[in-house]
Amino acid sequence: MHIVIIGNGISGVSVAKSLREYSDAEITIVSSESISFFSRPALMYVFMGKMRFKDILPFSPDYWEKNNINRVTGLINGIDSEKQTISFNDGRFLHFDKLVLALGSQPKSLGLGEFDLKGVQGFYSLQDLEKLQNLSSKLKHVSIIGGGLIGVELAEMFLSRGISFTFWVRERVFGSNFLPQEEAEMVTNHLKSKNINIKFEREIIGFETDEWNNVKSVESQLGEKIESDLVCVCIGVEPKVDWLKSTEVKTKAGVLVNAHLQTNIPSIYAVGDCVECKNPVQGRKSIETLWYTGKLMGEYLGKNILNENPPPYKPGIYFNSAKFFDLEYQIYGDVPTSFSDSIGTVFWKHPSKDKSIRLVFDAKNEVFIGCCVLGIRFRQEVCEKWIKEKWKISEVLPILSKANFDAEFSVRYERELLDIYNNNVI
Amino acid sequence: MTNLLKWSQWLFNFDVKNEGVWFKSLSNRGIVGWILAIFLTFGYITLYFFPTWLGLGAKGMPNTGFIGFFDPISLFFNGSAASQWFVYGFLYTLIILIMGIKFIFKYRNNNYQIIRTVSLLFFQLCFAFLIPEILASLNQPAMDLKNMWPLNYYFFFDWNIKKLLSSGYFGLFLMVWGIALTFIVSPVLTYFYGKRWYCSWVCGCGGLAETAGDPFRHLSDNSETAWKWERRIIYPVLFLVCLMTLTILDSFFRKNPETYWITFSHFKFIILLLLASVIALGIWPKGWLRGVSRSSKIGYISLAIILFIAIAFSWSYQKPVLLINALKLRTWYGFYIGAIFSGIIGVGFYPLMGSRVWCRFGCPMAAILGIQQRIFSRFRITVNGGQCISCGNCSTYCEMGIDVRAYAQKGENIVRSSCVGCGICADVCPRGVLKLENGPITLDNGKIKF
Repeated sequence: MHIVIIGNGISGVSVAKSLREYSDAEITIVSSESISFFSRPALMYVFMGKMRFKDILPFSPDYWEKNNINRVTGLINGIDSEKQTISFNDGRFLHFDKLVLALGSQPKSLGLGEFDLKGVQGFYSLQDLEKLQNLSSKLKHVSIIGGGLIGVELAEMFLSRGISFTFWVRERVFGSNFLPQEEAEMVTNHLKSKNINIKFEREIIGFETDEWNNVKSVESQLGEKIESDLVCVCIGVEPKVDWLKSTEVKTKAGVLVNAHLQTNIPSIYAVGDCVECKNPVQGRKSIETLWYTGKLMGEYLGKNILNENPPPYKPGIYFNSAKFFDLEYQIYGDVPTSFSDSIGTVFWKHPSKDKSIRLVFDAKNEVFIGCCVLGIRFRQEVCEKWIKEKWKISEVLPILSKANFDAEFSVRYERELLDIYNNNVI
Repeated sequence: MTNLLKWSQWLFNFDVKNEGVWFKSLSNRGIVGWILAIFLTFGYITLYFFPTWLGLGAKGMPNTGFIGFFDPISLFFNGSAASQWFVYGFLYTLIILIMGIKFIFKYRNNNYQIIRTVSLLFFQLCFAFLIPEILASLNQPAMDLKNMWPLNYYFFFDWNIKKLLSSGYFGLFLMVWGIALTFIVSPVLTYFYGKRWYCSWVCGCGGLAETAGDPFRHLSDNSETAWKWERRIIYPVLFLVCLMTLTILDSFFRKNPETYWITFSHFKFIILLLLASVIALGIWPKGWLRGVSRSSKIGYISLAIILFIAIAFSWSYQKPVLLINALKLRTWYGFYIGAIFSGIIGVGFYPLMGSRVWCRFGCPMAAILGIQQRIFSRFRITVNGGQCISCGNCSTYCEMGIDVRAYAQKGENIVRSSCVGCGICADVCPRGVLKLENGPITLDNGKIKF
C-alpha cells in the first residue's frame, strides 16, 4: 500500500504523522515548496529575526527517517486516476494506491493582473519570504494591500525591520468583516497606537510600472498615488486548484469532497486549505483556510484513510486564534460580527487597556454558544465543554474563572462581566 | 532622534520583544558575542586566580587599581578593605539590579514576570549581599541564608561546621536552618510550586541568568543530543558532591567521634539509612527511576548497592569512606566544579551557549529539585487544547533548552525535570497555548471536573 500526499504543509504532514500511528503503509510526501516541513504562521518571525528558519521546523531532522516517511521534491502537473499515477513536470512518474491532495491555497488577486508585475507578491510561501529577505535591504517604500491577518503580519514585519510602508485597508475599521464591531475598533486602535501608516476605506484601482514592468506606485480610488517599490497583496487566500482543472478530480472553488474527505475519485482524498466540503457540518464553512482545520482534517484522514467504514469528518467546536501586533485574539464557538434579537451578548472591555471578553448566547433559551477574547487567554477544553453541553449563560458566568488561561498573577475580570450581565437583565 | 531610538533599541532591546536577536552580533554568536564571552571568561579567571592583577593588595599591602576602587564601599559595609570576593559580590548584585529593572520593563505586561523578578532582586540584594555583610560587621558567621547544600557545597565542610557550632545559638540556628532548607523546606515547596520557587525566584545563579542572561536565552541548544549530555553531566556532578560531602563529614567525625551530640556512629547510621532509602525509592516503580529503561534501572540500582556495601565495609575496617582522600576530592571539586564550571563556564559562556549552562548541565541543586519536580510535584506547563501552531517561539526562547513545542503540538502537558518555571515560553507564545500551573490536576487533557 503506497499513500502519496501532495503538499507538506500542516494538512499533508498531519495525514502522514497520524497515518504512521495506525499503519505501516508506505508514505511519500511530495512538495514543490520545501523539502522540510515548516510552520507557515511562523515565517514572519524569521523575517523579524526572532527565529532562524531551522527554529520553525516543528519536527527534529531525523523524524522522517525514524518514521519511515519518504519526502520528494517536485511539481506535480497531472493525475492519471486510471493508472493511479501522478506525473511531475520534469517527466517523472509516481504510482499511488491512495492519493491525498493537500495543496494549500494561494493569495487572491485584485483582478488587475497585478501578480504579472515585478515587485508584486503575496506573503504565503517560503519563496515569498525569500523574495522579501532578498529585497529587504533595498526597499524604499512598501504598499500592503488588504486588511486581514497577513496584512497585519506584514505590517509588524516591516515595522520591526524599519522599512516604511503604507497599509491599505478597504474597510472603515480593521477586521470588521470577521470581528464584532467593538473588537474591530479595539484592534484598529491598537494598530493606530503603533504609529503605522494605515489608510482605511481605500481600494486599489491601478498600478504604475516602469519600462521593465517593475511596479512603481499604487493608486487608490481617491486618486492618491504612493510610490512603492514593493507591493504585497494580501486580500485573502483561495484554494490552489487551478492545475486540477485538467484532471478528472472535480473542483469548484476548491477540491470537492464528501463527508469522508473523499473526492469524486474514490482513491483520491483532499485535506486542508484546498478543500471545499460539499455538505459542510452545520455551522462550518465549506472552505476553511485555517491552520487548525488543516491539522484536524489531516489527523482525521490519517486515522481513517485505510478504514473500510470510516466515520464522517466532524471538526468539533470551532476555534481560532490570532495576534495583531501585541494583541492576542481567541475565539471559541459561534461569534457573529453583528447581533440581532435572536442572539444575545455580554461584552466587557477594559477602560484603558486592550482587553475584552465577549460571551454570546441564544437569546431565546439562553444557551451559551460562543465567546471571544482580546488580550486575555481562555481555556479551550472548558469553553468547548460549555458549548457542547449547552450550558446556560447564567450557569457559565458565575464560574467563568474556570475558563481563564492567563499567566499567574494576572488581573482577573470575571466579576465585571457578571455585573454587566446582571445589570442588563434587570 | 529616530537613529537614537534605534540605537537604544539595539542596545537594550527596549519595548521590542526579541525582534532581531538573530541579526545582532551580540546575541547571535557573532563577533561581539565572542568578544564578550572571552572578556567574561578572562574576567573570571583573573578574579579567581590572579586577583593581584586587578589590584588586590598582596600580603597585607593596601589595594590599588580596580579592587582599590571598591575600598570605600567595602569600608562602609563591613569596615574592612575590599577583597576580591566583595568586589565580585558587589558587581554581581549591581548587574542583577540593573538588568533586572531592564527585564521588568521588557515584560511589564506580565505580572508573573514582574513579581518573580522582584523576588530575585530582593533575595540577591538582601540575602546574598546585605545580610551577610551586616552579619560580618556584627562578627557573626556571614551566611547567605538561601544558599543551600548542595549548591552551597561547603556547608558541610569541617571549617563551616566548626564556625557555626562555635557561634552560639545563632550559629546553631544557621546549622539547623541549613539542614532543614535542604531536607524539609525545599521538598515541600517543590511539591507545591515546582523547582521554580528556587531556580527562578530565589537563587543567585538563577538571578543572574534571568536578568543579565535574558538577551542570550535563545542560544540554549534544544536538540535531543543536548538533552542527553545534560543528563550525562548533571547527575554525575550530583553524585560527586554527595560523595565529597560524605568523605569530608567522615574525616570530620573520625577526628571528633564523640565531641558533638551527633556521634560518629549516629552519622554512619544516618548515611546508611539515607542510602538504603535512595535504593528503595529507586526500586519502587513510582520512585526517582520512573521512566528509565529497565536495563539502566538495574544498572543504577546495582551500582547503588555496591556503593552501600563498599561504604559499610570501609567503616567496618575503620578506613576512610571508599578509601578516598577527602581533602584531595574537595580541592578537586572546588576547582573544577565550583570555580571553573559554575563560575567561568557558567557565566563566561552566556553569549555562546545561553544563560543557563551551569543550571542546566551542572548544578547539583537543580538536579535534586528536578528529580523532585518530575516525581512528585504538582507543577506542570499546561497546553491549551489544539491551539499550537508549531511556530517554535517557546522552544527557541526556553533557556533550559527544552523542546517545548514537541509537547505543545501534541497537546501534551510539559513535566520536565530541568524546567525552572521562568514562564517565558508562555509569554512568547503568540496563540496563548501555554500556562504554568500548580493547582490540583483536574482540568487537564479533557478530563474536566468541576
